[in-house]
Amino acid sequence: MKAVSRQQLQELLAAYVGEPEGLPPIDPDGQADFIAEYFAAGAPELKAVFFLCNLSLRILSFLLEGRSFSRLDPEARQELLNRIIASRNPLIRGIGVLPGLPLLMSYYRRPDVAVPLGFDAAALKKESDLRVVSRDRDLPPKQEDAS
Amino acid sequence: MILGPGDVKGDVSRGADVVIIGSGAGGGPIARELAGEGYSVVVLEEGGYFTREDFNLDPADSYMKMYRDACQTITLGVPFILLPLGKTVGGTTTVNSGTALRMLRPVLKKWHMTHGLTDIAEEELNLIYGHLEEFLFVKRADPEVAGKVAATFLAGAEKLGLSCGWLPRNAKECEGFGSCAFGCPSGSKQSVDVSFIPDAVKSGADIYTRCRAEAIRVKGGRAVGVSGYFVDPVTGRPDGRRIEVEAAVTVLAAGAIYSPYFLLKQGLANSSGQVGKNLQIHPATQSVALFDEPLGPPKGIPQCCYVDEFKGEGIMLEGGTVPPEIHSLALPFAGRRNASLMTSYPNMGIFGGMVSESDSWGRVVDLHRPGYRPGMLYTLRGRDVGKAKVGTVLMAEIWFAAGAKKVFTPFAGHYELAGPRDLRRMERSRVRATDIFGMSAYHPLGTCRMGGDPEWSVVKHTCESWDLEDFYICDGSVIPSSPGVNPQLTIMAMAMRCAGFIDDRLSASS
Ligand SMILES: Cc1cc2nc3c(=O)[nH]c(=O)nc-3n(C[C@H](O)[C@H](O)[C@H](O)COP(=O)(O)OP(=O)(O)OC[C@H]3O[C@@H](n4cnc5c(N)ncnc54)[C@H](O)[C@@H]3O)c2cc1C
Repeated sequence: MKAVSRQQLQELLAAYVGEPEGLPPIDPDGQADFIAEYFAAGAPELKAVFFLCNLSLRILSFLLEGRSFSRLDPEARQELLNRIIASRNPLIRGIGVLPGLPLLMSYYRRPDVAVPLGFDAAALKKESDLRVVSRDRDLPPKQEDAS
Repeated sequence: MILGPGDVKGDVSRGADVVIIGSGAGGGPIARELAGEGYSVVVLEEGGYFTREDFNLDPADSYMKMYRDACQTITLGVPFILLPLGKTVGGTTTVNSGTALRMLRPVLKKWHMTHGLTDIAEEELNLIYGHLEEFLFVKRADPEVAGKVAATFLAGAEKLGLSCGWLPRNAKECEGFGSCAFGCPSGSKQSVDVSFIPDAVKSGADIYTRCRAEAIRVKGGRAVGVSGYFVDPVTGRPDGRRIEVEAAVTVLAAGAIYSPYFLLKQGLANSSGQVGKNLQIHPATQSVALFDEPLGPPKGIPQCCYVDEFKGEGIMLEGGTVPPEIHSLALPFAGRRNASLMTSYPNMGIFGGMVSESDSWGRVVDLHRPGYRPGMLYTLRGRDVGKAKVGTVLMAEIWFAAGAKKVFTPFAGHYELAGPRDLRRMERSRVRATDIFGMSAYHPLGTCRMGGDPEWSVVKHTCESWDLEDFYICDGSVIPSSPGVNPQLTIMAMAMRCAGFIDDRLSASS
């Protein structure tokens, strides 16, 4: 994940994801792999925008808080982000909104996060595999029924 | 046969009666109809071929495999709008929500009067719609499997006395796995990859996947085929192998963004200057509601019910539950605020509202971006911002009527509505396009519109180009104005018509 350093990514992940109660902590390395893959598969501009947003966020931190983003405590980083996201200036808001896309996805797609929230993709996949849907007008019985 | 990159050795040079670029709602039906008539048909599809075995209910994985640019396609303008496009056998239908609606009746009248399309008769269109509905097993969503989110929203709408109901869908025996937009894992959804394409292949059509058409070959004012190249499945870059197909008829069905881009790049079929213009997209907002009790998303049918009380004013509400990783993006908060809401994900519902009739028109242009990527320019105009707001307020009102504790909207200044007072405040407020935190759109249309006048349209009512003989364009790009509803059935209907005209053309010349 070359768009930002590992430390910066860790700060961003913590600031965007927070610490959802009862869910596992962020996993910067594992999530960084996904983010890198996601950027590689997409339009090259998105990675550049992510980089620019990170940079702008750090500048805004100086302007609005008088301190670098890294030196804010975790709570203050989250508050800064929420202020930015609530801005009615679309450019400023964009700086807060866009990085959230890969960062939040990288966390909530993890099975150890999604399953406790009630989304068990693997179980649903198994269940769907049992279904037999043909394009025939007369339906064959379901596989489970037939056994 | 469906041919993957491994099935092709070296360059390909061959002939066919018909060559089709794109295998989605436009290309798929044409391939089936003409192959079924005994013509030799070749389809070039840039995306890969995936089956239900590959559909693993993993949104990000499907974005990276089956969506263009990993679903990062965004319009340039105010606000930025996410405009996802499928790139796979079956086109966007493989990853769409399966709503199958006929276009609104007054729209055809408008096409007759303002687009000179009097040759498209209502009776003919209804016959085609009827045939498609049977072929695609279209029926209303089953409330038994729809899921609690939809049932709750509908109950709220009914309480308010709004016109609403279950959507017709092209799904057979759907059990509501909540994953239409990531590929249907049970094979229920009758998208083009499981309906038209298998029939086309059975009748002898060859589908070349990971194969990007590059140019129409032109000789003496006629299209005589297509040239293109194969692309690497991972990088999307040319892998060094080329394809040339010589054909009596050439069909461009690359969708409403990539068809005009293709033509603009080649400088073809654009004597009207209309190629790429008139882009309509059905921009949409969403509302997220928090309840005291669990609603159990995303199990159920993601998009299975509607509220069409204001369809005459161009506002349609259609539902959509999504897995946590997408849901988290709809919340306009970061950190603790996002986290505390996400831990209540099981108690949340989400619904969408689209501006189905809009005054905003965008444009597809060649911005010379890296790779094979057009620019999509689109700005939401004042009246449409108003409609987006009305739709969002309406959704919030419905959620509250259904018992929601809080509703979250994408309008800055109104992210969190705690009850009717906040709702009234939002209703009275003046909002601007710049206030919208996140918008998406799923129905690009109109960029190579059909019409009766060669000065104002790109193709005739038959879908044949005004400029180039034996060249047809048939996909969302030819639909001249919003059908007022989700467009796949109308695109397929136009494709069925187009196949008939191509058949006439080919049989006349033989
Ligand atoms: C998430 C989502 C949900 C939706 N839900 C619904 C719904 O419920 N109901 C509804 O009616 N509509 C829905 N839609 C919209 C609907 O699916 C599209 O309107 C429809 O599929 C468009 O058909 P098309 O033929 O124009 O393009 P597509 O179906 O997109 O097909 C175009 C194909 O052309 C290929 N292609 C492009 N360029 C080239 C090239 N140069 N060479 C080779 N191949 C190329 C692409 O890879 C693609 O596969 C949804 C869309 C999305 C994104």
